[in-house]
Amino acid sequence: MGRVERNYAEGDAVGPLVKEITQEAINLFEGSAGHSEPSQFTDEEAARETLGTSGTVASGRMSISFALELMRRHFGSDVFNHTGTVDLRFIRPVRPGDTVTFTGEVTGTSREANGQKINVNIEVQNQRGDTTAVGSGSAIVPNAFLPAEE
Amino acid sequence: MADVDNRVPLDWDTLEVGETFEKFEYTLTQEMIDEYRRGVMDPEAAFPTISHKVDVRQFNGKYSDNGSVNARCAFHCYNSPVPGKKLTVTAWVADKYLRRGKNYIVTEATSVDEDGRLIDRVITHELKQPWEVGKKWEG
Repeated sequence: MGRVERNYAEGDAVGPLVKEITQEAINLFEGSAGHSEPSQFTDEEAARETLGTSGTVASGRMSISFALELMRRHFGSDVFNHTGTVDLRFIRPVRPGDTVTFTGEVTGTSREANGQKINVNIEVQNQRGDTTAVGSGSAIVPNAFLPAEE
Repeated sequence: MADVDNRVPLDWDTLEVGETFEKFEYTLTQEMIDEYRRGVMDPEAAFPTISHKVDVRQFNGKYSDNGSVNARCAFHCYNSPVPGKKLTVTAWVADKYLRRGKNYIVTEATSVDEDGRLIDRVITHELKQPWEVGKKWEG
């Protein structure tokens, strides 16, 4: 998935990407950065004290990671890992046991100095159909990665 | 013996937009990357730096508050970090705002590796009354 050569047009679907959230995955995410102290993400008591919730929640940064994967799969790592962006607003919590689906749609393209910028709307829904996050992403695709013009 | 908490209680009104924190350095190890990739269930995930929350690390080291909830986050990719390389993070207060009676603080950070490669930029909006959103979620 390093290099993807394709045309991009408004209305193109991006994804979907489906993730099943477990407490183990949350703990790995938090632990990977050495965050070992109890937090609203890893400890029910800490979640109750900080948020007043009955259980833990996943960090919004996990959703950012999944949105990065959604976009990287579409644009290829050679492009997205150098020019990609994602920007999400978090609306509802993602909890252990949830299945979240990330979908995107190309909303427009524009010429930039270093290639073609592709803008994408991103939406995240859980298994109940509730939206947990909305936002956008983009990538600048170098002309060398676009099919030659006729 | 308990650690002494030398942090300053956060005063949202006097917090200055533009305050830049001391640089923070760490080395991203292959173990960190592997653990992150297992956590996000993506063997090709290229930016484990997101889990390090470096944009709020120095803020949280300086100020004490009642916790926070991530309301919005933006991430810009420039170059995948290389395992074993030292990363230097510069973080600052990018903005603050009041919306529907709730206080938000926006922090921003860039990471650069020891070879001078720009790695990423992260911008986070944190709601500083986390119980408010918790009440809503539980309702």
